[in-house]
Amino acid sequence: MLLPKFDFHAPETVNEACQMLSEYGLKAKLIAGGTDLMVNMKKKILAPEQIISISQIRELDHLDVSGDRILIGAGVTVADLCESKTIAGYLPALGQGANNLGTPLIRNLATIGGNIGSARPAADLPPGLMAYGAEVVLQSKAGIRTLPLDNFFLGPGFTALQPDEILTEIRILVPPAGSGAAYVNIGIRKAQDCNLVNVASYFALDSNGIIQNARVVMGCVGPKPFRAVSAEKILIGQKPDIQLFEKAGEAASADSQPIDDFRSCATYKRSMVGVLTQRTLQQAWTRIKNQE
Amino acid sequence: MKKLIRLTVNDREYDVAVLPNQTLVDVIRYELGLTGAKKGCEMGDCGSCTVLMDGKPVNSCLVLAMQAAGRKIQTIEGIETENGLHPVQEAFVQKGAIQCGFCSSGMILTAKSLLDKNPNPTEQDIRKSLSGNLCRCTGYQHIIEAVKSVTP
Amino acid sequence: MSEYNVINSRATRLDAPAKATGKAVYIDDMTLPGMLYGALLQSPLAHARILRIDTSKACKLPGVKSVVTAKDAGLIKYGVSPARYDETLFCHDKVRYVGDEIAAVAAVDLATALEAVSLIQVDCEELPAVLDIDAAMADGAPVLHNDYPGNVCAEVHAEFGDVEAALKTCDLVRTTTFKNKRQDAAFIEPQGCLANYDLSGNLTLYSSTQVPHYVQRTLSMVLQLPIGRVRVVKPYVGGGFGIKAAANHMELAACLLSMKTGKPVKMNFTREQVFTYGRARHQFIHTMTTGVKKDGTIVALKHQCHLDGGAYSSFGIATVYYSGSLLGGPYKLPNMKYDGYRIYTNKPACGAQRGHGGVAARACWEQQLDMIAEELKMDPAEFRLKNIMVAGDVTCNDLNMSSLGMKECIEAIRDGSDWKSKKGKLPKGKGIGMACGFFVSGAGYPIYRSDTYHGTVMVKLTEDGGKALVYTASAEIGQGSDTTFAMIVAEAMGIRLEDVRLESGDTDFGVDLGAYSSRQTLMTGHAAKEAAEDVKKQVLDVLSKELNVPVSDMDIRNSFVVFKKDNVDFSGLRTRYIKEHRGWTDNPQSGPLTFTEAARIAYLAKGSIVGTGKYKPPQLGGKYKGAAVGTSPAYGCSAQVAEVTVDMETGQITVDNITDAHDCGRAINVTSVEAQMVGSVSMGLGEALFEEVKFDNKGHVINADLSEYKIPTMLDMPSVKPIIVESDEPNGPFGAKEVGEGAIMPTIPAILNAVYDAIGVRIHELPLTPERVWQAICDCQKEK
Repeated sequence: MLLPKFDFHAPETVNEACQMLSEYGLKAKLIAGGTDLMVNMKKKILAPEQIISISQIRELDHLDVSGDRILIGAGVTVADLCESKTIAGYLPALGQGANNLGTPLIRNLATIGGNIGSARPAADLPPGLMAYGAEVVLQSKAGIRTLPLDNFFLGPGFTALQPDEILTEIRILVPPAGSGAAYVNIGIRKAQDCNLVNVASYFALDSNGIIQNARVVMGCVGPKPFRAVSAEKILIGQKPDIQLFEKAGEAASADSQPIDDFRSCATYKRSMVGVLTQRTLQQAWTRIKNQE
Repeated sequence: MKKLIRLTVNDREYDVAVLPNQTLVDVIRYELGLTGAKKGCEMGDCGSCTVLMDGKPVNSCLVLAMQAAGRKIQTIEGIETENGLHPVQEAFVQKGAIQCGFCSSGMILTAKSLLDKNPNPTEQDIRKSLSGNLCRCTGYQHIIEAVKSVTP
Repeated sequence: MSEYNVINSRATRLDAPAKATGKAVYIDDMTLPGMLYGALLQSPLAHARILRIDTSKACKLPGVKSVVTAKDAGLIKYGVSPARYDETLFCHDKVRYVGDEIAAVAAVDLATALEAVSLIQVDCEELPAVLDIDAAMADGAPVLHNDYPGNVCAEVHAEFGDVEAALKTCDLVRTTTFKNKRQDAAFIEPQGCLANYDLSGNLTLYSSTQVPHYVQRTLSMVLQLPIGRVRVVKPYVGGGFGIKAAANHMELAACLLSMKTGKPVKMNFTREQVFTYGRARHQFIHTMTTGVKKDGTIVALKHQCHLDGGAYSSFGIATVYYSGSLLGGPYKLPNMKYDGYRIYTNKPACGAQRGHGGVAARACWEQQLDMIAEELKMDPAEFRLKNIMVAGDVTCNDLNMSSLGMKECIEAIRDGSDWKSKKGKLPKGKGIGMACGFFVSGAGYPIYRSDTYHGTVMVKLTEDGGKALVYTASAEIGQGSDTTFAMIVAEAMGIRLEDVRLESGDTDFGVDLGAYSSRQTLMTGHAAKEAAEDVKKQVLDVLSKELNVPVSDMDIRNSFVVFKKDNVDFSGLRTRYIKEHRGWTDNPQSGPLTFTEAARIAYLAKGSIVGTGKYKPPQLGGKYKGAAVGTSPAYGCSAQVAEVTVDMETGQITVDNITDAHDCGRAINVTSVEAQMVGSVSMGLGEALFEEVKFDNKGHVINADLSEYKIPTMLDMPSVKPIIVESDEPNGPFGAKEVGEGAIMPTIPAILNAVYDAIGVRIHELPLTPERVWQAICDCQKEK
């Protein structure tokens, strides 16, 4: 099985890579872990003339807590996320997504930047990241801009990333005390699956135990991962309990926009959004309670 | 056009001319003659092409050979020791973990990397770590027994 | 303690070290000097008339060495069953499925070959396609093959006893309809081959095949080469499960290209081509009506089945027979009526896959039997035991259960799973279920009508003595047959396993029908045993003359000659041996006469010592039409208990464990028997829960990869408790019979029955995806 013909570049810095991107524009594709791009090239869905590898760029490999923010370089592999104590400690919902992504072999190659940048509606990392309110850093020759991840996805495979931009970093505010989040996905089998539905939920309590902030993010049930706004409205201002989570689940179901496809029918997906919303909220609440 | 790259495979350095669109698995199989890594799907689904890259198991069908330049690659041919088979290989032989053998190279390498990191894995650790290596013959049971039997 | 020295033990497989180190050679690991690479042009349309094929641009591409189409290949029809040869190497008038082969190219490298394929221009007139059974059988439906109006590829009508009359005598009669989905065998090694037509006009094909013999015959017939000039060699094979049990187009094309170019030609399927070639398990739609007495006695089964066959027959004639005949047992069933129809559709052909023809039928019936047991308020195990056949019973369709540990298997899983304390006592969402099944130990007849031996084996002693070389054309495809035959030879000769070397998978070694229908252990095993006994006798005959001791007073054990009476003076022989080996450090100085010495003495007396063995089943089965399918010298049988947890909100099933008992006759290599048992469970579990080849409305496979066609991963497989139930099969070598396919029979219905136990609703369609299970739970709640 052969790949299309292309030229290969391996810049050492982000600036160099940006320079190349500005030169080649739409003819170029970035490759990091390659787990998505390689498959798409083999299936002849993509045939870029220029491949710019960013996997050797060391400045994309960081995973740090800096002040009140967690900074994750786009080149951090999913396996690194799985093993990171920072992720397990601060961002367990992202860790759950990482642990369910692809296979252990894929996780050793795939990067967080790639999982976001490929913009697959069923991807495992975006729901958790969006639930934590992540923003992405986009760099080009012209400079750097940041964007809430909520606004980054435009549709399946489409993002706000310009042809000359590189997604370099993911920034997440350290979740406050009294907050919790969780991610749950459903597939056909127990590993190596494209999700049928995935949901991440986050909420934060005020000092009176009232939900002051909530984010519920659904995957696989629209052209991109997106927030269940009515579920969030139901949660905010209330005290968490199972009945509330059930109501939020029903609202999320109603917010979802699934379609029938060869993996599953819309009815099932819609119903599962409700189940997973409840379950993620329940888990998030358990996490909050365990902090106390 | 082909470019000369230096690949470190099984602690030996190879200077090899490769095309940008050649995958690592094709180069190690067809250029270096290390045919232990198999091609079962070429899409990163089956794990039969697993090699260790800087100690971590990866699908070599999803890695461009040029991306592997400068990385430390280990294949099934590179894990035998002076005393013969690597303990994981020996365990696979003894426990009947090998049937058709097409997944064995990848399975053994992934198991080795697990055991290098975690010498006393639970059964669930083993199942999770090897879940990207598909086997259609064994039902995995003898493989799990083999990995369990390797003592640190 | 076993009475045997070699067999009936846990032997390390002969091929394991090579496979553990990456040294074992599979087809794509081979290269030959000057080798070219081939590629196929396959139809992008499901049904079309070919108007014109223009290869001129492809031929002109630098690096292209040959382009072949039906013009070059000719139109000799072939297939699996001579009764339905309905394929030609390349399509000439029509294409009948997406993937149908139109042309092939050989070039200096794969990239050039693929580019050349893209330059071949085919003008087609698209025809309406039929993509399922209903569409294919509809009035006025487009016809795939003019010789088969109505798209009926084959139909079977058989009745044993009088089913209608018998049903009238029943206290309870129940009818259910059940449907599985098209499977893929998903072996990990895609098919590949390397053809080499040499300057003397001899063709050698190296191929990832289960059946070198049948491939050899097909090559000879289609390419019109004398069979003596065609040799097929099988390197190590990465699984087959039935799909590699016939010659494929790629093998034929590679040979033709090699003949045209005079160079070796290598070809491989991509994973996508594995799916588009197909030949795996059919989709079956079964409707079964079973009648029982109120005491639980099974009286009659009326059974109708439709098979979605795809575009060609492949193994389908046998499949449509098997799906009826394999319900004759293992329960006493005096009346059985079967009507089977295999239907052509514009999809890749279906063929044989592990448990050929019987798996979906078994799933349907075993679930129905559970439903009936429940209505009768009988425990499913007791209900089955009440009806169970025992050794010596003959089914209504003349299958002779010469040994049958079915009862013992049921008892073993019942006790091994703690069934009695679990059945009916588990909480909602947890379930336990059981099922049984059996399968042939080798088809009673070859695929082509012939009096051929089904297997021949040659054992030759090294002239220097001491090692037995076994030559068999049988096919090691991962199941462990090489080791099995080496063990049988060692046991039969009285030598150690390490004194046996074995070569297999080469048509030059003799005739062996290959690895299908679970035949090799019994059939090739018989031939191996006979060849070993022949050699042993020849050695002992020489010794008898040399030592003046009757053969009956001698034996060989553990690679030593043993004498029944003391004081046999063999010092003369030993002196001769030692004199021949002056300077050697390993000469026997004292102790018993070694087999090495004896074998050398035999050679000195007679020249090379070669023993031959052969096997052909005795006349089997009934005289009715189709009686040949399902007959076998022996039948292996299985029972399994599955325990599951179902997530009542999502429909996700977790199989928690499986207790699995199989009667394999006498186990030759215990480890390999268990490996076949657990491997069968794994394939059955995948078919039960996940697997389905899916098509779009144009006939393209939409999940032609191993991410969307889902076989079990290590996280999906439960722990399996394998229990070997041994019987002594009178027709088997050392009492051995099959394990590779019977062991899959109970898995799907055991899971179906366990899922019912967990959720309280029956599901009659596979696979049991979360969505399907969830839907069933919802429907059930609505009804309430």
